[in-house]
Amino acid sequence: MIEKTQVIHNKLGLHARAAAKLSHLANMFTSDIYLIYNEDKVNAKSLLGILTLAASVGNEIILQANGGDEQEAIAAISDLFNRMFDEES
Amino acid sequence: MIRIKGKAVSPGIAMGRALLYNFEKEVIRAENIGEKSVEKEIWRLENAVKKSQAQLKKINLGLQKIMGKDAAFIIETQYLLLKDSHLLDEIRGTIQNKLVKAEWAIKEIEKKYLEIFHTIPDLSFKAKSNDISDVLNRLIANLKKSSPSTAAPQPGQVILVADDITPSEAATLMSNKRLLGLVLNKGGETSHTVILARTLGIPTILDTVNATDSIFNGDTLALDGVSGEVIVQPTPEAAAEITAKIEKFRQYKEQLKKLSQLPELTLDQHQFHLYANIELPFESEIVQSYGAKGIGLFRTEFLYLDSKMSISEEEQYLIYKKIAQNIFPHPLVIRTYDLGRDKSDPSMPRREENPSLGLMAVRLFLKDREPFKIQIRAVMRANASGNIRILFPMVTEIEEVRAIREIMAEAKKELQRAGTYPKKDVQAGIMLEIPAAVRLIRHLGSDIDFFSVGSNDLIQYLLAVDRNNSDVSYLFSPYHPAFIHILKEIRAEVARIGKEVTICGEMAGQPVPALMLLGMGFTNFSMNAMAIAKIKRVFTRIHYARLRKIVSQLDRFGSRTEIEAFFKESLLKLYPDLLDSQSPL
Repeated sequence: MIEKTQVIHNKLGLHARAAAKLSHLANMFTSDIYLIYNEDKVNAKSLLGILTLAASVGNEIILQANGGDEQEAIAAISDLFNRMFDEES
Repeated sequence: MIRIKGKAVSPGIAMGRALLYNFEKEVIRAENIGEKSVEKEIWRLENAVKKSQAQLKKINLGLQKIMGKDAAFIIETQYLLLKDSHLLDEIRGTIQNKLVKAEWAIKEIEKKYLEIFHTIPDLSFKAKSNDISDVLNRLIANLKKSSPSTAAPQPGQVILVADDITPSEAATLMSNKRLLGLVLNKGGETSHTVILARTLGIPTILDTVNATDSIFNGDTLALDGVSGEVIVQPTPEAAAEITAKIEKFRQYKEQLKKLSQLPELTLDQHQFHLYANIELPFESEIVQSYGAKGIGLFRTEFLYLDSKMSISEEEQYLIYKKIAQNIFPHPLVIRTYDLGRDKSDPSMPRREENPSLGLMAVRLFLKDREPFKIQIRAVMRANASGNIRILFPMVTEIEEVRAIREIMAEAKKELQRAGTYPKKDVQAGIMLEIPAAVRLIRHLGSDIDFFSVGSNDLIQYLLAVDRNNSDVSYLFSPYHPAFIHILKEIRAEVARIGKEVTICGEMAGQPVPALMLLGMGFTNFSMNAMAIAKIKRVFTRIHYARLRKIVSQLDRFGSRTEIEAFFKESLLKLYPDLLDSQSPL
């Protein structure tokens, strides 16, 4: 299992569109992937789960993955966060 | 016996049993199920999910085509929510653990997530709540459809009593020929339900406020769709009276039918043409039986809005082609989307201070050209039969006409490249609704093939009056001298460049104003199909030359009341019983 702390850079935070991109990406990996924010831990493959987090810009969340492709998964998801979900600023 | 008053919007008389429709709000109960039924509930759920996914996918694809990926995202989120195995696992779990029906399990999950979203101090929580509620309600609706046992069909013909019904419900109900009449608590006179009822000749009254409270299922109803009254459990005398009225109305309709077969000539052999305005494709199948010699105005907004703006070029092409074939060899005039103005219009990018002076119709589409071009391409492709014309609403200046021409040229090129452009070009016309456009006619000889007068809007913009505002609607008059003047100007200008003009506002379907227009030299009139017989009746009983003389004298008056009085008096002097309608209308 690996974990990585990730800062949310995009202005709108984990709103519907970003959450959809994130869950879509997470579903491409076989590992279990979670997002941990405050006291909440949600499945990164569940769009609805991500939406309930309501994490916004500047917040730190923990990415956690466990499985055969956990390295790749964390790298890809972190990259999506750092690309600010490809949103135009 | 009780009498309920409403507003008569579709004439006709009917007597039959009442069927109350959808008068109770859908209640979902926490019904417990046995363990054996769990599997069945989960199967129902999975079916509903599949159905919902297919529906959302279709809407999404349509939206993407028209509005690009950005707008389509609203639906995509819902689609993805349904793909979320977590959400479905939770619903399944609730069915299994609490032993409840799928509907109730979905409601429980909805409640849970709405509570979570409400605790989020984020402005977008509302959008999220809407998404989840929308998609879950779609699921519930699709559950219902898979168990049709709840709506046991009643035998025989009925008079439907409801609070209000949607156009799609109305279409379903009216198409199976079981509907004798319609009584609604609410309803708007221009709603699609009413248009359908009129076209199909189903007597309808609206605005009864509380008909659903006073009428029980199975009550005998005597519906007078001429006076706007419905009698609940009529006495034998009242029933006999209605039966006599039904017969009288039948005779009247037969007269209309005979009338519809008469040639379109005045007593002194002056030719005129009467066309129908339609809003729904299927109306094209029946307007000829009302005497229409073509469709002078097909309003297409309904296609666009009803499909949630997701109608494709292919779908439109098929619809236009079918209508053109139905009406062949007569002409079909397709007006491009006349959107905007209505504040609730979902196609509007933002709320406006002054919608009727704002981004609307052609203005809207010159700003966002894609859906406009798709429509133009569909119209062009459909014109294999050669009887289609295209009409652009709300033109203000010549620059707009040039932009439209440019888009049409592009669309033509694209279709030619794809090998789907038919031999004939579609003729292009503009609506004369904004007074300023009248001054453009003389400059449009080479760009525009025909003109169409939207009299309601032309009056509204000329007299600065909203006819739906009851405080000022008295000002809305076709007899205002300025309006008479502009009509004469239109007639003269169009004749000067050798083009055609059609009147297609409400005025065309009202006998006295229509006679005035005929006297001005207008020969093409497009109206609600129901009005055609009425207009034909008066037009075939007058002499054009005499009418022309009366109309030429209208310039003497400066007041709308004087003009109206003079015109009517002069008519009645020549034709004393012209306006005595023998009809119950």
